[in-house]
Amino acid sequence: MDRKDNSDYLWDGSGEPDPEIQRLESMLGKFAHRGARPVFPAIVPARSWWSRIGWPMRLAALSAATAAVALLVASAIWFMIHRSRRIPAPIAESPSPSTWQVARLAGEPRVGNAAIEGQSASLAPGQTLVTDGKSRANITSSDIGEIEVDPDTRLRVVQSSSDRKRLALDRGVIHAFIWSPPGEFMVDTPSATAVDMGCAYTLQVDDSGAGLLRTTLGWVGFRLDGHDAFIPAGAVCATRPGVGPGTPCFEDAPLAFRAALTKFDFGPADQRASALDTILAQARKRDALTLWHLLARVDVNDRGRVYDRLAKLVPPPPAVTREGILHLNPAMLDIWWNQLGLGDVSLWRTFERSWSQSKVAQ
Amino acid sequence: MERRTVSEGAEGSGAVRLAEAGLRDASLVTAARDGDRTAFGELYDRYARMVHGVLLARVPYGAVDDLVQDVFLQALGRLRSLRDAAAFGAWIAAIARNRAHDYHRRSRDEVELTDDLSGTDAEDRASSRAPGGSHPAPDAEAASALAAIRSLPEAYRETLILRLVEGMTGPEIAARTGLTAGSVRVNLHRGMQLLRARIGAR
Repeated sequence: MDRKDNSDYLWDGSGEPDPEIQRLESMLGKFAHRGARPVFPAIVPARSWWSRIGWPMRLAALSAATAAVALLVASAIWFMIHRSRRIPAPIAESPSPSTWQVARLAGEPRVGNAAIEGQSASLAPGQTLVTDGKSRANITSSDIGEIEVDPDTRLRVVQSSSDRKRLALDRGVIHAFIWSPPGEFMVDTPSATAVDMGCAYTLQVDDSGAGLLRTTLGWVGFRLDGHDAFIPAGAVCATRPGVGPGTPCFEDAPLAFRAALTKFDFGPADQRASALDTILAQARKRDALTLWHLLARVDVNDRGRVYDRLAKLVPPPPAVTREGILHLNPAMLDIWWNQLGLGDVSLWRTFERSWSQSKVAQ
Repeated sequence: MERRTVSEGAEGSGAVRLAEAGLRDASLVTAARDGDRTAFGELYDRYARMVHGVLLARVPYGAVDDLVQDVFLQALGRLRSLRDAAAFGAWIAAIARNRAHDYHRRSRDEVELTDDLSGTDAEDRASSRAPGGSHPAPDAEAASALAAIRSLPEAYRETLILRLVEGMTGPEIAARTGLTAGSVRVNLHRGMQLLRARIGAR
């Protein structure tokens, strides 16, 4: 059966029907919505300025509003028609869906040493996209996502296989919006690898190789040699060469808390104890994110203090014991993490296993 | 980068239809805000399938009908907070996703935690044993196919349920949820590939 026809049938029911999809439709239709429209309670309209003004003013306002609506409709239609011309080719018709397409947004971004001819170009594994101080670019892949590349950035394509898409950010800033399945898209930096778990995020790397990841939607894993950090929406995590990912925290955490965390993660060893005192004292319930990570990062003598503070903020589930956490029991740590309501860690564990298997296979 | 609120993949005429649909939504929202219950009822007719699908992708079958009503009641109460009346679809989809999240959070609070934290399978089994809603009890093969879809990553799960269960087309899914047509197309295609593999493996 022709692949395009099947794809069209899946898309909008046109083209040659796919028997398997038809069978699923007929079988699963039993679960479809059938409820009748309920009787909704009466809606009390807000008494607005409109009802308080006289008819002459209302007519004047109505004329102005009508003109504005007409303008808005025309703009909306124009906007949508023009945007519809910019869509990437549908995945089923694309010869290599994992290929990145580069579009120039400003200045003269380059692929390797070559300037982009026209408005767009392809970016294949092994190639590097470079923007200077005045350039910006956008790279898209229909089955991975969309990434905006800021000025002074150097971004390489490392791998584009069907189940693993990998870029390397040597320096600069990228803003990623990813729709490929969780765990398939990664960005290497000089000091950690960011693993997409279904999200949007900004990643920046400076000339020293230090990085900062800020998640705006979903969550991202940051890892180096088995040293992991989970960064949910609204949180940030720094990373340093030779150290790896620091401890994530929410951006709205108190300033003193964040400063102490930086000291704890990357400061001199003799300042860690006082930094930990500040972190524990300042932690809010929301900062359970940070305290959970600290359980595995503090010295064994301090772990009890972190446990006690975290337990006060988010009581551990019955399956989690103090003794188990003090010994860093992996299952208990995972159960407690899930209790925080920041994402299901079993997803991460699944992908962890698949990564180790693929490493063994290599 | 923001999630877009209009379908990019539609042809020119499709884009016009979407613009018209957005305007219709906007006028219904405005009328509902002014106290017109029939207008809100029409919004229900336009979006109930989508809300049902978004919930079915996340919570047990037996709980979905009640939650659909909850979502619309929440929307009714918050209608004045919707800034862009034409974005009603994306807005109510977000309410539905939040309501599903809240459902699981409350379930966790009420049920003793086990190793299987989702509890979804157990709840589904329970709801198929004692269906309280208006639906007939599903047969085993259909339940197994639904379970296969629900085992997929979230983005695929929602899109495939809207397509295969609720009978919406790709362009409709994009228009109703506020996702781009490109994303919906990718999710349908990749999700279907995964689903075929999982059903084949059973």
